[in-house]
Amino acid sequence: MIACVAVVGHQNNPLYLQSFTGADDALKLHHIVHCSLDVIDERVNNPKRSVITLNESYLGLLYPTESYKVYGYLSNTKVKFLVVTTDLDVKDTDIRSFFRRFHAAYVDAVSNPFHVPGKKIISRIFAARVSGIVKAFAPGTYG
Amino acid sequence: MAPLVPKTGDAIFASIDRVNAELFTLTYGAMVRQLLTDLEEVDVVNKQLDQMGYNIGARLIDEFLAKSNVSRCVDFKETADVIAKVGLKMFLGVTASVSNWDPEGSSFSLVLDDNPLVDFVELPDTFQGLHYCNILSGVIRGALEMVSMKTEITWIRDMLHGDDAYELRVKLLKQIPEEYPYKDDE
Repeated sequence: MIACVAVVGHQNNPLYLQSFTGADDALKLHHIVHCSLDVIDERVNNPKRSVITLNESYLGLLYPTESYKVYGYLSNTKVKFLVVTTDLDVKDTDIRSFFRRFHAAYVDAVSNPFHVPGKKIISRIFAARVSGIVKAFAPGTYG
Repeated sequence: MAPLVPKTGDAIFASIDRVNAELFTLTYGAMVRQLLTDLEEVDVVNKQLDQMGYNIGARLIDEFLAKSNVSRCVDFKETADVIAKVGLKMFLGVTASVSNWDPEGSSFSLVLDDNPLVDFVELPDTFQGLHYCNILSGVIRGALEMVSMKTEITWIRDMLHGDDAYELRVKLLKQIPEEYPYKDDE
């Protein structure tokens, strides 16, 4: 079950944060997302030098805590997409396809001429699409 | 023998230079955004878009007539069909449908299901009165005025305001007879 999704800009400014569980642990989810940003920075600044990361946008599992797992995805413009999930076994391909759709929705939202880059995404269509992607996400349903 | 009148603009659309649709959409979006920043009032921006469209239409009609080989329209109904099927296809890449003729045949509705100008656009709450595609109404008005038809164009349905399609009402006010700038006997 996906607990929350987040989009963070290239200056680590939050662009979009949506939780899909009860509101009581929203603060904890925010905290987890914040810590994951540090992990991403670490990974980005200390890349595995042996492999030239051509399209290693997908960062994989960043941060396993007691009950959550955080996956990250970095776009070429340093926009970070994070997903916090409570599922214990999630297939890599599922998460990758989730991020692809998430990224596509993000690109459409940012192409709105009324969106100010750097400010929070207020598009309702984006929120609806993300909810749809999250609902459709169920581990094991995709090949 | 008059050349064949094209029934659709597809062939012409395929033969003229085209620009990337996203570039077009994003450029138009940036322009509307800038107009809003400069002029601040939604009504003024609507009027400005219409005026810009009018200037474009007045010049576009020549290119349209040159490239499309349509013959003189017999009546307003034919004009409507030509705009919807040939003109819009040539310049926007989409066709519209003509409907809701009034009993005298002097006004019709142009319905667009697909509109490349508004891809990705979502109107924020502060600009709800904005007719984002007002430039289209100006273009049609300007083009028709150059072929001696004075029209009035209003928006009936707008997808950005929650409707299911774009509908423009085109009303023919009068036909202006052609005036020659020079007197014949001099």
